[in-house]
Amino acid sequence: MASYYKKLKADLEASAGAGIITPEQAAAVYDRVYGARPFAAFRAAHWIGAAAGLFVALGVILIVASNWDKIDAATKMFAFLLLFAGVGEAAVRLDGKPAAAVPLEMVWFFMPILGIGLYAQLFNLSGDPVKPYLVWAALAAPAALLSRRPFSAYLCSALLFFTLYSGTLSSNSILALTAARLADAQPLWHWALALAVLAGGTAVFPGRKLSLPLGASVVWLFVMLLADTAIKIRSSALILLSGMSLAALWLTWGSEPEDDKAGLALKTWLGAVYLTTFFWHYKGDEYVNRSAADTAAGGAVAWLLFAGALLSVVFRPQRLLPAGARDELAGKVLLTASMLCSFLLFDANEATAKAVAITANLLLAAFGTVSIISGTRDSDEKQINLGVAVLTILAVTRFIDIFGSMLRSGMAFIVTGLAFGALAYFVNKGRKALIESVKK
Amino acid sequence: MNWKGNANCLRLVLGAQVLFFAAWGGWLFASRNTDSPEFYLATEPVDPRDLFSGTYVALNYEISSPRGGNCPRRTRDLGRLFVKLEDKGKKAVTAAGEVPVYEAVDCHANPPQEPGWAKAEMIHRFGGPVATYGIERFYLNENDPRKDARSGSVLAKVKIDRNRSLVLLDLVEKF
Repeated sequence: MASYYKKLKADLEASAGAGIITPEQAAAVYDRVYGARPFAAFRAAHWIGAAAGLFVALGVILIVASNWDKIDAATKMFAFLLLFAGVGEAAVRLDGKPAAAVPLEMVWFFMPILGIGLYAQLFNLSGDPVKPYLVWAALAAPAALLSRRPFSAYLCSALLFFTLYSGTLSSNSILALTAARLADAQPLWHWALALAVLAGGTAVFPGRKLSLPLGASVVWLFVMLLADTAIKIRSSALILLSGMSLAALWLTWGSEPEDDKAGLALKTWLGAVYLTTFFWHYKGDEYVNRSAADTAAGGAVAWLLFAGALLSVVFRPQRLLPAGARDELAGKVLLTASMLCSFLLFDANEATAKAVAITANLLLAAFGTVSIISGTRDSDEKQINLGVAVLTILAVTRFIDIFGSMLRSGMAFIVTGLAFGALAYFVNKGRKALIESVKK
Repeated sequence: MNWKGNANCLRLVLGAQVLFFAAWGGWLFASRNTDSPEFYLATEPVDPRDLFSGTYVALNYEISSPRGGNCPRRTRDLGRLFVKLEDKGKKAVTAAGEVPVYEAVDCHANPPQEPGWAKAEMIHRFGGPVATYGIERFYLNENDPRKDARSGSVLAKVKIDRNRSLVLLDLVEKF
């Protein structure tokens, strides 16, 4: 990302030097773009302040946790309430002075869990391990949302997602969604609470960049589909369909149009397609089918995800390849094909699974090739490198994970190598033609 | 109106947070001071640590697997349960002399309005279903020798509050 700003600055300076824009305009454009980057308002001093607040908060928590049993409960509680009010009031009063406000806000954020820990110690409270975290998040969220700095909001969002993952994957908590052994399914209101926590974690996340919370939500939903929950799915076809649909949804909705790259969502999609190439070794569903069949709710969720992903791919701009009308169709075709190939696994057998694996290999090969061509056309070195990396990883994997006989694989590798050579020749030829056209 | 950084809104939030802890603390104090008899329970402690609350003794109780009366039938289902605790003649010797150790004598989903019924939650653990009472942790100073208490060497001093919840008051060494 830093290289993007460096390149932007160089391009703007070059444009100013060529007389296309004035140096003032170049500086204004750069300041505007640079100021809008994530954590823009965080100078080094703010980070140090945040670290200071974190250390102080953790230190106070440990001192309280050491249990000063010579001091009576009422005195401890009164001191805690006084400290709580003092820290909060100081953070409000010193809001305009970041060097003091940032550490104070950090300590304020941790005050609720300090209080919960203290009360548990004083009254020997035990029970549901998820409840304290939910109460902490509920108490801290309003202040995090009202703060003019995003630090508490980031922490609060992370806390909510941590609680969501740990709570829903346990079987004995207020958020539990996985069934305890030999027990009934978890009650429906656990789902309502889990979805509320999910919505909270996404809503509290500061700024308009939703890629990270959306990614965390997508991964959570996929884990819920795989775990022993009321929406569990067990057939390879539905698992692949929902996984690919979720990856496509994240890729389509997880980044703003002005973002230059899809980032983590793109890597997740590539990873999902890469894993699909291993369906070559598929020997039937007996390994995944042991813990019962698909649930009706799980099947419905998988089909809804597919419908949503398909509509999104058709009607939203694709983010698989760099934005631009030329690659729009290629990106949409690749995304759609990655979802549709899972249909081959319905009533799966070894032949259809091999067809899925071959499709996935072709998808990655096509992505790599289109990336190289697109990167050459737009002089985007990173895009070319990505394409080459995908093709190389694919080739190396297939070398280790031999598809057919050694003779056939050897031939295939020689053909791939020659294709690479031809591609490099045409890429270079295209680059020279571009330079010539600029010279003329 | 710009809510971000608004001092009055932030003070309102701070007030609500402090009020929450003041009210909760008051309620916990009131629960602990309920006018009900105190009694003892046999324990099986282990000693982990909590990062937010400090060193504690994790307690399992004999009443975690209640066996008397309807208990074997009632404890098959997970969820809310009430357990009748009673002195059946079992005794232990502490620094304060000989004390009765209460036992679980019956279980019910909707118990009669009489003293001695404690609220429990049946949950699934590795060894099967167990009854938890919210008294499974006793917090200690990190240098307190009771944190190394061996199984069966301590008693939990408890009482039942007005909400039928057990309140853990002390961990007493047996002689």
